[in-house]
Amino acid sequence: MNRTKIAKLMLALGGVLTTAAFFMTFFWANASTFPDGRIDFGQKIFYFHVPVAEASFLVFFFTAFYGVKFLMTKDRRFDTRAKIATEVTLLFVLLTMATGILWTKVAWGVWWLWEPRLTTYFILTLLVIAYFVLRNSVEDEERRAVYASAFGILAFIDAPISFFITRWAESVHPVVLAGGEGSGLETPMLITFIVAQVGMLMLGYAFYEMRLHEEEIKERLEALKVTVGG
Amino acid sequence: MASASWRQFKAILRKDLVMEMRTHEMITSMGLYAILTMVVYQIALTEAGEALDVRLVMPGLIWVAFIFMSLLGLNRSFVHEKDQGCIDALLLSPVDRPVIFFAKFSGNLLFLLAVEVLSLPVFAFLFLQGREGISNPIWLLGVVMLAASVGISGVGTLLATMTVNTSGKDILLAVVFVPLMYPLLRAAVGATFAAVIGGPGSIETFWSWMAWVAGFDVIMLLVAFGLYEFVIGA
Repeated sequence: MNRTKIAKLMLALGGVLTTAAFFMTFFWANASTFPDGRIDFGQKIFYFHVPVAEASFLVFFFTAFYGVKFLMTKDRRFDTRAKIATEVTLLFVLLTMATGILWTKVAWGVWWLWEPRLTTYFILTLLVIAYFVLRNSVEDEERRAVYASAFGILAFIDAPISFFITRWAESVHPVVLAGGEGSGLETPMLITFIVAQVGMLMLGYAFYEMRLHEEEIKERLEALKVTVGG
Repeated sequence: MASASWRQFKAILRKDLVMEMRTHEMITSMGLYAILTMVVYQIALTEAGEALDVRLVMPGLIWVAFIFMSLLGLNRSFVHEKDQGCIDALLLSPVDRPVIFFAKFSGNLLFLLAVEVLSLPVFAFLFLQGREGISNPIWLLGVVMLAASVGISGVGTLLATMTVNTSGKDILLAVVFVPLMYPLLRAAVGATFAAVIGGPGSIETFWSWMAWVAGFDVIMLLVAFGLYEFVIGA
């Protein structure tokens, strides 16, 4: 089975799993309640928000990873991979922001709060956008690849900071998984979460692989144009 | 070999310093920029008047001034190199790339520190008269300014080397530089606040923020240093 086929399979599976998780969220996973007994419907967004956020960190890692590989080998294919990883990161980061803001309004009563996790994640969003601004303002292709790789590596430093900040600093952002006492999920909630997370990672992989395939075809077409058209 | 690198380092640094001595361009533009920033602060704070304790916002305000000042200086420092073809000559000469990085970094650091040291008293003169001064020993401010400026100049030197070759130049430098500097600035403002406001436990708070600044400096300088060779050769 070639890569494109696997990607298509992943896309279908990821779609099924995330959709399944959506239904599990409402029909199987226990509703969490407030201390006063009211049902916390806002919590349902957790099964989308957290998987997509964690996927965004993971995909962004590949921006830095392929950045390093490009600088070591000067092989342009790695730069293309880094660029596409950043594109997928941008998609996931924006989804995380959108769902996060919705939840913040419901849970905290405000759309936005300058609190450590939100702030560092906002900075991450700006860095991902800056990556593309930088790419677009360099004309020379070789140079663009080097600059983008270097910036991708630098920008990735913010990702672990943003990820761990809720554990380091005083933050009102919840730490659900491995956050010490009182954290953790009941089994149905955990299973729903894992289904959503696995589905999201599959989708991430599928988006990445399909975009890469598209880009490779484009590059081959350009190469052909040069050979045929003279 | 080490002494040869040291001589090359001194030569590049001296070139930057001599050029500055002759033109005074960097210090004048950055210094004027700092004063203009203070004027803008006056506009921003004027309606709050006496209700606002300027000391509470001072740590943030001075770092806003410093970060934008550094953008101006970093950009200038490479525009010269490029316009006059100096960077090509440097690359042609048998100088190790790390030497170029450390020389440019040191020059930028010196200019930034000079303007910071000049503008801090101006800020105090304009905004802090008749108010309580800086609670903790003033050398603590020197420590933050030095440590944070190291990080700013290190990453700034790398990024300015890139952005000078782009179509956006100074605007692009701001776009890539300011978000990258966020963790460092946050820690620097925290440390400055602890130094300015004082109170019980403020010295401990100061040093814990300083640990963040130092950690960030080390990581960022190592990464910037490692990447410089690739970037300057591109």
